Amino acid sequence: MYLALFMTPWVLMYALSTFVMNHRTWFRGKAPAPPPFQIEHELRYPGDFPPGATPSQKAVQLLNFLNMDGAHSVGRPSADGSFAVNRQDAVAPRRITYHPASGKVTIERQEFQTTAFLERMHRRRGFQQAYALDYTWGGLVDLFIVTTIFWVLSGLWLWWELKVTRVTGLLFALGGIALFTLFLATI
Amino acid sequence: MTYNHFNRRLHLYLALTLLPWFFMYGISSIPFSHGYFFQRLDEAKGLPLWTKRFEKTYEIRIPEGNELRPVGAQIMRDHGLEGAYGVYRQNPNQVNVYVHSFWHSTQVKYFIAEKKLVAEDRRFRWDHFLTGMHARGGFEQDSFLDALWGVVVDIVCLGMLLWIVTGVYMWWKLPSTRRWGWLALAGGVTSFVFFVARL
Repeated sequence: MYLALFMTPWVLMYALSTFVMNHRTWFRGKAPAPPPFQIEHELRYPGDFPPGATPSQKAVQLLNFLNMDGAHSVGRPSADGSFAVNRQDAVAPRRITYHPASGKVTIERQEFQTTAFLERMHRRRGFQQAYALDYTWGGLVDLFIVTTIFWVLSGLWLWWELKVTRVTGLLFALGGIALFTLFLATI
Repeated sequence: MTYNHFNRRLHLYLALTLLPWFFMYGISSIPFSHGYFFQRLDEAKGLPLWTKRFEKTYEIRIPEGNELRPVGAQIMRDHGLEGAYGVYRQNPNQVNVYVHSFWHSTQVKYFIAEKKLVAEDRRFRWDHFLTGMHARGGFEQDSFLDALWGVVVDIVCLGMLLWIVTGVYMWWKLPSTRRWGWLALAGGVTSFVFFVARL
């Protein structure tokens, strides 16, 4: 029970985000574009990158300079050497573009949309980025997984202990299993 | 029947009915959360993931924009493929049709300039089976059973919300657990808000 109370926000988030994803066309239209970015800030990067630095190394250096280090991904550089870093953020993801010819850095913030926010939270995993915060989130997601499996097993045990509900409960359980098996065999 | 009684029965029977989905979503979250681990495990086998089924010359007009489902349906009809599918533009010269069931997936690649069609079957993997089931949803497919799966996914969402409501009610009816319950709830909400703000 206490585990369930602690995990309530996660259950709520996964339920709402699943509903949104199940009705993506309804909420966001057919073939929806990602939420647009708005320019937040432009500045000049005074530093240089070491010769032979990979896009990932350049991204980390740039994020450190901007005091924005954290979970991110970096796109392939274009022909002129400019590259974009997508800085993940639950509420306000940012795109940071560096143009080597002018040394200009453009920071854009993605417009907030509730549906996109819920999808981001649902899809966020923790063990792909070398950041303590992301690892902690990954640990909580794993705790949620273990909790879910524990609820299934402990729920079955609790039901079995309530003798008065055994027959009706069995009918509900068999109904669910039959429907699930039908889906497994057909779609 | 008192409300208290109704609340308990609703909590229990809803959980028993949706048990396979709840269990599936729990188990299938593991390969999502630890995708690299399963990927490395499979790569160690040294087996190809895709096997070519056919390659042939084929011509179909590809419209501009992202409304590609009619093209995917036509390609499938012309080549005897059936099932749920998705269509997307891999790059300006390539459109992919992804035909899938829980047990089997086929990818059809259409190369526009070369007027060439290549179909490949994906080797079965348990982690893909689970993640495929986890990610299945929506109402874009034509078949009744696919739509019914989408309805059940909605019921699972509603079920989770009802578990919260009925669970919180049951907790509140146990005064001896209120102090620790408040602590657990407040701890969860605080942690979640912290991660939303910082993640």
